[in-house]
This record gives sequence, C-alpha cells and structure tokens, in this order.
Amino acid sequence: MDVDLSPQDLAFQEEVRDFLATNAHDPKTDYGQWRLNWFELAKAKGGWDVPKWPTAFGGPGWTPTQHYIWEKETAVAQTPWDLPFGLSMLAPVLMNYGNEEQQQRFLPDIRARNVNWCQGYSEPNAGSDLANLKTKAELSEDGTYYTVNGTKIWTTLAHIADWIFCLTRTSDTGKKQEGITFLLIPMKQEGIEVKPIITLGGSHSVNMVHLTDVKVPVENRVGEEGKGWGYAKGLLAHERTGLAGISKSLVALDHLRLQAGSVKRGNATLLDDPAYKSKLAELEIDLLATEFTELRSLASAASGAEPGPESSILKLKGTEIQQRIQKLTVEAGGIYSAAWGKKPVGHSFAKGGMSGYLASRAYTIYGGASEVQKDVVAKNVLGLKKAK
Amino acid sequence: MNFDLSEEQQLLKDSVERFVNDNYDLDTRQSLSKNPAGFSDTYWQTMAELGWLGVTVPEAQGGFGGNQADTMVLMEAFGQGMVLEPFFASAVLGTRAVVSGGNADLQSRLLPDVVSGSCRLGLAYAEEQSRFDLEDVITRATAQNSGFVITGHKSMVQHGGSADQLVVSTRTSGGQRDENGITLFLVDTKAEGVTVDSFPTVDGQQASEVTFENVFVHADNMLGELDRGFTLLQDVAIDGILALAAEAVGGMEILYKDTVAYTQEREQFDHSLADFQVLQHRMVDMFMEYEQCKSMLYRATLEVVQNGREAMRTVHALKYMVGKVGTFIGENAVQLHGGMGVTEELRIGHYFKRLLVIDAQFGNSDHHLSCFAG
Repeated sequence: MDVDLSPQDLAFQEEVRDFLATNAHDPKTDYGQWRLNWFELAKAKGGWDVPKWPTAFGGPGWTPTQHYIWEKETAVAQTPWDLPFGLSMLAPVLMNYGNEEQQQRFLPDIRARNVNWCQGYSEPNAGSDLANLKTKAELSEDGTYYTVNGTKIWTTLAHIADWIFCLTRTSDTGKKQEGITFLLIPMKQEGIEVKPIITLGGSHSVNMVHLTDVKVPVENRVGEEGKGWGYAKGLLAHERTGLAGISKSLVALDHLRLQAGSVKRGNATLLDDPAYKSKLAELEIDLLATEFTELRSLASAASGAEPGPESSILKLKGTEIQQRIQKLTVEAGGIYSAAWGKKPVGHSFAKGGMSGYLASRAYTIYGGASEVQKDVVAKNVLGLKKAK
Repeated sequence: MNFDLSEEQQLLKDSVERFVNDNYDLDTRQSLSKNPAGFSDTYWQTMAELGWLGVTVPEAQGGFGGNQADTMVLMEAFGQGMVLEPFFASAVLGTRAVVSGGNADLQSRLLPDVVSGSCRLGLAYAEEQSRFDLEDVITRATAQNSGFVITGHKSMVQHGGSADQLVVSTRTSGGQRDENGITLFLVDTKAEGVTVDSFPTVDGQQASEVTFENVFVHADNMLGELDRGFTLLQDVAIDGILALAAEAVGGMEILYKDTVAYTQEREQFDHSLADFQVLQHRMVDMFMEYEQCKSMLYRATLEVVQNGREAMRTVHALKYMVGKVGTFIGENAVQLHGGMGVTEELRIGHYFKRLLVIDAQFGNSDHHLSCFAG
C-alpha cells in the first residue's frame, strides 16, 4: 500500500502546475479576455478546457488519478470561473444519448462557453422525490412538436440562460420513473416566465420557471420518449460525487486560518483561543480522513473497479465539512458577521463569511438531501430494507 | 415553588402577544425594516403608551418598577415576532445603565422621556480589538474643566442611528485590558464630534459605527463612579444577555413549531415528511433543546433577580446554551424545510439569522463556555 504518484503522474502534475502558473491572471489585464484566452490555451494543451470529456469529443482522456491531480491543482491556483450546467451535466447526456445532429449542434457552443444552459429538474412537488415531476409535454397530432406546461423550481441561473434541459412527463401510466422525457428548450421565447427566488443571503441565483404552452420541436428531444429518467439518473450520480469539494475545502481551511489569525484577542489572536483552536483541529482531522476516503475511491476507480462503499459517503462528509468551515468563519467574524451594509465593517472577511455560511446551508439539501443520501447508503451499501 | 407568571405579568404577556400577532406578520416586518430608521415610529409610540418602555424604570420616574423577569415576558414575545423597535437598546441596556448609574438629577431629567419614548437610549461598548471582552477599552475620556473629553471608536452599536443618547464605555485610567479605570458616560448623539455611521445588519435590524472626536461631556453625565464603571457595564451586559436569551427562546419556539407543521404538510415519496422516523427524532431533539434553553432562561433570570451579579456563572451557562441551541434549531429548521428553508419567502430563515446574530452579541457560545469553565 502506498499513496505515491507514479513517475508519469508526477510528470503530469509538474506539467499542470507549470501551465497554471504560466497562465495565471495578471490583475492589470482584462479578466473576461483572459478567461476566454485561458480556455483556448487549455484546449491547445490537448482538451484541458474540457477535462471530463472523452477523447472522441475532444477531451484529454485522463485517468482518474490525472483528474484528481487536476482538481487539486486548480483548487489552489486561480483558474477562470466556469458553469457546470452545459459542460458537465448536459454534455455527457448528449454524448451518450443524443443523436449526431444534436451533438454537432450543441457541443461546440458549450465548449466555447458562449451559450448558457440551466437545469430544469426539480418542481414544487418534486424535490428529493424527483420522479414525482408533473411538467407535462404533449406530442402534437402530426408528431412534430411537444406542448410543454408546468413549473420548474430552484433553477440556478435561469435568468441568464439561453437554454434549459428539462425533464418532462409524457405519460402517466406505469411507474413514476417511466414516462419522463428529456427535452431541450430555448429560454428566450413566449410562454417562459422566470421568477427570481431570493435566498437567505439576500442574493438571486435560483429561480422558478413557468412554462405555458411552450412549443418544442421533436428534434429537441434527447433519446427516446419516456426514457429520460434513465438518462438523468447517471447525471445525478455525477453531480453528487462532484459536490464533495475536498480539494477546495483544504484550500478554504488555509484561508480560514489566515482570517482567524487576523482577529485580535488581547495580545493574542483567535488562533490562540483554546476552544476555537480545537474546533479547527477537529475540522482538519475530518478533512485529512476524507481526503484519504476520496483517494481510496479514486484508486478503485483507477483500477477499473466499481466504486467501493467508501465513495458513497463523500458527498455527505464533503458538504458537512464545507458547512463547518463556513460556520467557523462566521464565528471568527464575531459581532462583525452581522454587518450587512455595502462596505465592510470591522474584519474585512466578515460579510463574505456570513453570506457564505448562509449559502452553505443549501449544500446538504441540493443534489439529494443528506437524509435521502443516507437512505441510499443504508439500502445500497448496508443492504438494509427501506425504513420509513 | 411556582413557575407561574404573576397576575400583572400575565396581563403584560397577553397584551404583548396580541401586539405581536396583530402587527408582526413577516411581510409587515420586512417592509418596516426598510424604513430609514429600520422600524415603525407608530409601533414605538404604542410601546410607550402601553408602558413597556418603562418596564424597569422606577415608579417614581413614571415607570413600571419591574425587574428582569418582567423584561423576559416582553422579550420572549418580541422574539416570536422578530420585533424591530429599539426596545432592547433603549429600555433594557440604556435604561439599566441610567437607573443603576445616573445621579438623581440625571434620572429625573431623562427617564420620563425614556418612558414616553421621546428619548431613545443605546449602548456603545464594543471596539474592534476587544472581541467579546468588555474590559478591553481604548476609547479615552480625559478630565477637562467641568467634565471630560472623549476620543475613540465604538463598533456595532445596535440601533445607534436612532438613539438620542448613548451609554459609552471609556478608559479613564489603567491599561487597555484593565477592569479598573473604565468609566461610563451618557453622550448626546448630536453633540459636536460624534459621528454615527449606520448600516443594516443581516437580521433586518440596524447597527452603527460611532466615532468620538474630542467630544465634551459634563461630569453630571457620568454613570457610576470614576474608574469603577466596569461592574456597572457588567450589570448592563447581564440584563442584556437575559433579554437576548428570552428573545432567542421566543424565536426557537417559532422555528421548531413551524418545522413540525411544515413536515406534516409536505409530501414526498407518497408520505408526509413527518412520517419519516429520522425526521421525527430530529424534531424531538429540537423540541428538547428548546425546552432546556427555556429552563436555563428561567433559572438564570430568577437567580439574577434574587442575587444580581452573584448569578454570573448561570448567565454564562445561559448564553452558551442560547448560542449552541439557536444554531442547532435554526440549521435543522432550514434543513427540514429543504429548498424552501433557504428562501427569504418563509419566515424560518429570518428567525435563523436573528439567532445567529444573538449568538455573537455580548459574547458567543465558546466565550461563555470558557467563562463558565473558569
């Protein structure tokens, strides 16, 4: 047993570090221009602009270990912001289940980051129980288009999206999971109304999307009618592992130490406070263990095996750790964490700490609430019967 | 032994609960918080007319002559409505400092106006380097002619923007963290050299950063004795903690009850959420912690009424529990409401934010646990 990287992986790590360092953003230059250049340069490296895409679609075809190295290095380095909806959520569905025409029509724009997508899955009565969705899609008599009616909720960035990929119901007979159809719908059209939902931190990123008699040509259906649940399910599993964010948490913990170190307490700082210090230590210990849980999961994936039982806990542990980091940031801010005006008051990190903490409360809710995740572990890993 | 309210307290409770029910639905509260002062002048007048602003003011000055238990009755109901008016700043913190530390002239000049609502008080004690330590004071007061000159900066003064007079802790002798050498003064916010910079806080209230630049105060405005202001400040903080804890307990009750109601309405997987045992047990935990907090609130309040500052250790225990339990109940109320829990539309998120702010006021959970442990 060892956790050493192979000589090839070490060389790859070196190459990644070199690329990230060479192409870091110079604050004196325009961010937007740098961002687009960065993706061009990453593309020229052999598909580094789309790390998760398979080689057949222009991706780098990395091993699981290389993906891990990439994630770790990019968490530390300053890389351009990116959105997952088109790139990591829709693209794999199109690659696996879309036809060639759909792939050629949508993938290049997703890769170029010039078309924004949003995800139309959850509904007011279909949250954890997603298969309960009711948004109706009716095929026209001549079979050329669907008419879609219904409401989607928690739709992140729907207000800036050009397209939505949507789970719709085309049949009510049979099991709930059957009769769900995967449609691609342009957002900028009559019949689509986007209503902002303001979340705890006072910010607007999620929305309610009402669809009223929206006509969708059958060419915009991915795969077969009634098979959409199967297409989306693979995606959800992907979404869940991606939410653990261990590498990012390791970086965040370093930031937290710096912030706590800037908070004075008499002649010492908050880092000298025994209670605070021991909470930081507990957090670090959990993170050290979780990092190795991720590595174990990675090693089994690298050897081509099915994910082991350890991988099922990554989203649960990872999101809980992210929330604890945020909570300790709020505690470090002390009285200043309450300040909510335009300019910072007291500690400069305090307002960001509070809004980060409030936002983090959703981490154990979206992508499958922790309680539901534990049901899945109980059933699939421990082999227990479904409890009430 | 008797945990029942007195007849007078019961009347007070009925009247404050009616006020909250009639006036404090979430929409009204959120729109009031956008007023320039951050609350309703009309409600403030109502509070004065009902005699609440004088709840702890001696009867001789036109008050009700009550104690911390009476304040508790009011604050618990205010907590259930997330009431915005500066009752806490003026009728709890400021009033305690003036009643315990002001000379007879000052009291008879000021307190009737406090009771009538025409003068609002506030407390300016925190400084950036002080964290939660009341004795860490840099703001300096230097004797000059018939009074003192104050220079320094005070942070996160709750409702500083609408206060007419602020109780200010200053250093008159000794080192930065000495308990001796602290003196409290009552300072007019319109006095020359006072700058009040107000901003909203995350819980829908307002706070201010207050700067004093060579501000002259007459010696008559000294509260308590010269250099001996620390114990008075502690007494004010004790009353403050008791009142905040009562407010928090009121908020916790809403949070756990709303959660119990919501999980019965919301259906997923062909069951109401409340059918799932894991959620039932979580709600039982929330309820248990709420009841425990309430017990500790009664314990600390009764001990302070009887023994004053001798009951300090129980006050530490209370503030520790309020912070810990408030976070536990708030986080779980949000979690059990799922996506709806993280929206501004439901009231639970707002109560949760208020509890978070209460945790940091007058020292957070960790701080009071370490004080309790000694």
